[in-house]
Amino acid sequence: MTSPEIPPPPASGADGTAAGRSGPAAGGDPTVPAGRGAAKGTALALLISIVVAGAACLITVQTCADSARTAVAWGTGAAGAVLCAAVAVAVHARLTSRSLRSQVAAAQARAAERDAADARFADTTVPGVVERLRRGGSAETALAEAPPVVSEAQRRVLTALAHEVHRGETLRAAAMSACANAAGRVQALATSMAADLREMEHRHADEDVLGDLLHLDHRNAQTGRIADSLAVLTGARSGRRWAKPIVMESVLRGAMGRISGYQRVRLHSTSEAAVAGHAAEGVMHALAELMDNAANFSPPTSEVHVYVEEVAAGIVITVEDGGLVMGDVALRRAEQAVSGEHGDLTTLSGTRLGLAVVGRLARKHGLQVSFRPSAHGGTGVLLRVPHELVTEPRHEERTEVPAPAAAVPPAPRAERSAARPTARRQDNTAAVHSRQPERAGPDVQRSPGHDRREDTARTAPAPPPQEFGESGLPKRRRGQTLAAVARASATSSRLPEPAPGAEQADQRDPTAAGEAAGGPTAARSTPRPSGARFGDFRRAVQGAGTEDTGRRSRPSDSSPARSSSLSEDDTE
Amino acid sequence: MTRPGRDEDPDRLYTVTGGRSRSAAGAEAFDLVTLVVSESAPVRGMQSEHAAILRICRFPTAVVELAADLGLPVSVVRILLGDLLAQGKITARHPRRARTADALPDPDILKQVLVGLRNI
Repeated sequence: MTSPEIPPPPASGADGTAAGRSGPAAGGDPTVPAGRGAAKGTALALLISIVVAGAACLITVQTCADSARTAVAWGTGAAGAVLCAAVAVAVHARLTSRSLRSQVAAAQARAAERDAADARFADTTVPGVVERLRRGGSAETALAEAPPVVSEAQRRVLTALAHEVHRGETLRAAAMSACANAAGRVQALATSMAADLREMEHRHADEDVLGDLLHLDHRNAQTGRIADSLAVLTGARSGRRWAKPIVMESVLRGAMGRISGYQRVRLHSTSEAAVAGHAAEGVMHALAELMDNAANFSPPTSEVHVYVEEVAAGIVITVEDGGLVMGDVALRRAEQAVSGEHGDLTTLSGTRLGLAVVGRLARKHGLQVSFRPSAHGGTGVLLRVPHELVTEPRHEERTEVPAPAAAVPPAPRAERSAARPTARRQDNTAAVHSRQPERAGPDVQRSPGHDRREDTARTAPAPPPQEFGESGLPKRRRGQTLAAVARASATSSRLPEPAPGAEQADQRDPTAAGEAAGGPTAARSTPRPSGARFGDFRRAVQGAGTEDTGRRSRPSDSSPARSSSLSEDDTE
Repeated sequence: MTRPGRDEDPDRLYTVTGGRSRSAAGAEAFDLVTLVVSESAPVRGMQSEHAAILRICRFPTAVVELAADLGLPVSVVRILLGDLLAQGKITARHPRRARTADALPDPDILKQVLVGLRNI
């Protein structure tokens, strides 16, 4: 620095100090414009270098010989000026670059910060707001609960988004509830109409009327199924709940009755299991959709076969058609649809609702649906009803086949030969017995008829049901009339009449009336309840003819009869 | 009992009859009081109504009574009976009411007999 020959060192030293001073200023305050800091630093460096160069020039001029003084002065002056300029330029460039670099770094930091804010906005804020709106919050609530946004633009985006989503959500909910409500009403109508139709079917015996009613019934059931589908898709309550377990045959027929091509469905079921009441409707509906698919996607002449198989894990119902085999893509789509993974309607195609409905029902009741190629050439669908939903039917006819078949194999024929005459005989007695109370009223003196009537009255109203079901329990049958019950109670207390007697009665058909008239006890003891029941019905159905018989057999039987025989005597 | 407007049975009648509204055996094959007798025991896999008819008809049973037992309309029972008749699983017997009435002695004769007996 002190060496006069080398000007750069002082310049570099001055440069160093200037840089040392201006560096922190530039780095420490990034907001200071780069130009001003650089200019200040440059001026300082220039000043120092001028001072140093000037001093060096003076010293050099003083120390050199007088002869060369002028030349040296010019030379050192020029060198000093050049040096000063160079130092100034260098310092300026250095300072400028430094400040620019720091500005770039600051800008980068700001950009990164903004990126992070954007990412936060996209990843957290927006989904949070949408989620709140989906849960039913209003746009204002959702916006208030959202974390603060950094920029005005984000705020505007968020507000617009919230209002739009809220509107869409409201629209969706309104449409869904309108659909669900309408579906529920149609369901209710279809159900009550089904009940009405059933009542009408019972009322009208004419075959043409019945045919029309059955046709209407079928149409109504299809309407009901569509309403059920809508209700399932819109998440409404399912249509019906059965109070009792439904046996498999009824489940299958209930399902099959809801599709248009039900006459093409062939049921192959020997299962006696039943589906629990709360799930029966769902199973029926799912099956109906599967059967409908099978019927729609197979030739109109082919049949749809339904098989039922009881397995350890429940019941497997197979619906097989002879239609087209599903391709891989279609199969995958179908499996996805019935898997019930999608809780909403986004995968709904608009025209094909069936499998989506099956998927919903499957998820609700824990059913499992799978597809496979069918042995009939088409597609087979397997529906597994889980074990929890399978119960035993609450039915009285469980022990139907074995007991009677084993006990009396040839009985029907033998009985039939005897049945008719005794039926006729019973007819008479039945007429007598059942007529007792009403006859006794008008045309009889009180005292003799009284005890008799009381007797009948005592046995009739509270008869121990004496017909035993196969389960060994007494059982009253629906069609049983008062007289039949009374007689049955009397019959059971006596020993059955031996069969030969009944067979003899076959020959004495015309005298049967007389025999019955001769002894009510003998007639009562006949073990032919069904014949007697028939007699009741015949009497009920054909008024006059049997009434004659009843009147004819009446005279010697009981006290009311005596009045008429007396009157006959009087007429004589 | 059941509430009005409610239907406690998922079986629709057209599924029971397979969509038919008239009996294959013709309307005159069964009237209300035709006695029906089963000729064979119910078999597994049979339609439950058919099985029930065969079970009930082990003893001769009238058509109306079958209908009452099954809770089905008579016309539907007729269709089912027509199926069974075609398969030979039942036989139908018509009560010959008119002839029986004719064969019975005339009330006047009976009256005369009665008078005669009393006069003895």
